[in-house]
Amino acid sequence: MIEVEGLTKLYQEFVAVSELSFGVQPGQVMGLVGPNGAGKTTTLRCLAGIIPPTRGIIRISGHDLGSDAIAAKKELAFFTDEPRLFDYLTVEQHLAFTARIYQVANYQQIAHPLLEELEIADKADKLPGELSRGMKQKLVIACGLLHSPKVIFFDEPLTGLDPMGIRRMKDSILRRARAGAAIVISSHLLHLLEEVCSHVLILKNGRKIIDGTLAEIRQKYSEQLGNANLEEVFFHATGEAGAPPRIS
Amino acid sequence: MMGALLFLLSTSWRNRLVMRVRRLKQPKYLIGAIVGLLYFLYVCFARFLFSSHSFRYRGGMAGAGDSPENLLFKESVGALILFFIVLLGWVVPHERAALVFTEAEVAFLFPAPVSRKTLIHFKLLKSQFAILFTSLLFTLIFGWSRGGAVWIRALGWWVIFSTLNLHLLAASFARTMLLDRGISNWKRRALVLGIVIVLATGIAIWTWRTVPPPPPVEEITSLSDMKYYAEKVLSSGPLVWLLYPFRVVVRPYLARTATAFLLGLWPPLLFLGLHYLWVARSDVAFEEASVEASRKVAEKVAAIRAGKQHPLSGLKKRKRSPFNLQPTGSPAVAFLWKNLISARSGFTLRFWLLLIWIAVVVGWSAAASARTAGLAAMLGPVVMAFLALSFFMGPQFVRQDFRQELPMADVLKTYPLPAWQVALGELLAPAAILTAVQWLLIALATVTLPQFGPQKLPLDLRLGFAFAGVALAPMLNLVSLVIPNSAVLLFPGWFQTGRDAPQGFEATGQRAVFAVGQLVVLILALIPAAVVFAIVFYALVYVNVLSLSIPLAAIAAALVLAVEAGFGVALVGKLFKRFDVSSETTP
Repeated sequence: MIEVEGLTKLYQEFVAVSELSFGVQPGQVMGLVGPNGAGKTTTLRCLAGIIPPTRGIIRISGHDLGSDAIAAKKELAFFTDEPRLFDYLTVEQHLAFTARIYQVANYQQIAHPLLEELEIADKADKLPGELSRGMKQKLVIACGLLHSPKVIFFDEPLTGLDPMGIRRMKDSILRRARAGAAIVISSHLLHLLEEVCSHVLILKNGRKIIDGTLAEIRQKYSEQLGNANLEEVFFHATGEAGAPPRIS
Repeated sequence: MMGALLFLLSTSWRNRLVMRVRRLKQPKYLIGAIVGLLYFLYVCFARFLFSSHSFRYRGGMAGAGDSPENLLFKESVGALILFFIVLLGWVVPHERAALVFTEAEVAFLFPAPVSRKTLIHFKLLKSQFAILFTSLLFTLIFGWSRGGAVWIRALGWWVIFSTLNLHLLAASFARTMLLDRGISNWKRRALVLGIVIVLATGIAIWTWRTVPPPPPVEEITSLSDMKYYAEKVLSSGPLVWLLYPFRVVVRPYLARTATAFLLGLWPPLLFLGLHYLWVARSDVAFEEASVEASRKVAEKVAAIRAGKQHPLSGLKKRKRSPFNLQPTGSPAVAFLWKNLISARSGFTLRFWLLLIWIAVVVGWSAAASARTAGLAAMLGPVVMAFLALSFFMGPQFVRQDFRQELPMADVLKTYPLPAWQVALGELLAPAAILTAVQWLLIALATVTLPQFGPQKLPLDLRLGFAFAGVALAPMLNLVSLVIPNSAVLLFPGWFQTGRDAPQGFEATGQRAVFAVGQLVVLILALIPAAVVFAIVFYALVYVNVLSLSIPLAAIAAALVLAVEAGFGVALVGKLFKRFDVSSETTP
């Protein structure tokens, strides 16, 4: 599970994230949404241990990311919007390298079904340059899931996927959540988040505007918006001026 | 239409210049530019500033006192070089003709109502910018003080580069037309090489019949021994006439007077004109290949700007793992394994053992055989020079470490590893590669250096030195690599890793600053090891353990270097831990 208390990230004078607190329990999927520059990616990068927060506490499965980073990182996986792969390693070599880093002794027993599930088992000897974007994404996912993480962060996981890929990604996220993983997804695709997420946190200018279950959030705005969807709630909550009217 | 294209060229050039001048407000570019400019001025004008005999250029292409025979020889050498470049242009390439445009040019110009001929003109005009700049640069570096006016040298270079440029372009069009007519690359190569072989055989027969044979290998003491023979072959007989078109192109550059230059200019200008007509009248569909070539160039540029050294070549080819990586054990070994794969060559243990064995056998037989002993004596100092260079310059060239991986720093940061392990892992591959090269050179030096100058070196002494080298090399490499890796983590913007990485004076200057810094720190790191070496060595000599004095002193020094390397790895680890990937890594 994920516990965040008072997370703040400053770049000199600029406040990227301010006093952010929330929690994600095992089995929950939280959607992190907000306009461009709201601080979503910065938040995720802090949660994944890529950049240090200026202030605040982050706990991953009970391990403090600041003081016990190695134990915390063993429990998490972070999937960026752009597949980040080593150009010179094949699919198989990526898995071997990741297994050694995470000390997954029986990785071949895990890797093979994973590659089968992701439909890239026949690409084992291919380099990233020989794979399509969707396949690269799948390879990143295979590497990330090799050590069976209990906490997963996705930054725009549906970018560049075809309809079938999107369907599979959504299924995969839900399956991991049902298996007990705590998941955070950052995305602009609100209608897709609505299908996958149990919780939502809306950020603007680095500050939390609202968080809770989808039902709680809809309930909060029901008086003004009626039976609104997440998109309408988002525009209302963030006060996005000039949001185009819906074409019915 | 050409007006719009000229506007594009001139404004692009002007904006690029303005951007680079503005960038000098940042200290890192200003310092880099000053150092780079000083270095450039030194390279160009050192012989004027230091006008003693030692700085005077002695090997000029056309000295004022050249005899007509000497001039003909130089002209023939230049023509031969041009011939080989042209020959390669006809033999090596296998792809269809492709004029390389930028991706933006492809996006704007290809769908626009611009004729194929106009695109060719645009490309030729654009290439003239590069040719003019290169001509000036070559004039400054190679041809300033060798008799004859500066303008003659500059125009001479321009004639050579322009002719080459047009010929290679025309050759690419001709290759494409041959392909379209069903003549494959292999058929074309066979035809071209067949003609070359027939001509070469004819020249060889003529040479064998008319020119006295060169001196035997064991009697060669200097290059001048070979010059007479080369002069005869190149400057008389059929080769003079076969190389005539190429000599014509080189001749203006070698002219010593304005009259000679002008007289020599009209044939290459005629050549240029004919080449232009050839290119302009070729109706070859180059667009498709150009789009592909432009995409590759764009990818290459983006990859280089992202800090990758080998963005395209080799990446299409899978590399075998250097060894079998077990899923458990030290994670640092995983980085070694990964980075050795990225080094792209067969860095397997078997490969290196084979190479060392070949080096020893070849070196030993060269040193042992009376016929080739002279060759071995020449080889020894060269090997030693390379060995010394590998320690100082090697870490600048072998960069399979943080310098390559900085764009992947965010991924590395997610790994559940202590920072020192990541640092150690990143340093291991370049250290291993450099060590392997140095061990090979040490093996070669051991067998090819029976004496050093007048001093005889018995085998046991050579083996002692070799052992010392073998023991010291890995630690010395690790210490050397700490410096550029610390620098890249401390000053990421100074290294050529971000997008829009600097070029020109600034980049040259920045590299020079880092190279000097690395040298200084390396010398400082060597002092404690040298002191310990001296103490152990003299102590052993004092107690009369002569035979073991060098190896044991080297082991002691290697231990000191190992401690330094340990501190270095801890330092790099600390810097990596502190390294904020969100910080500005772009200039």
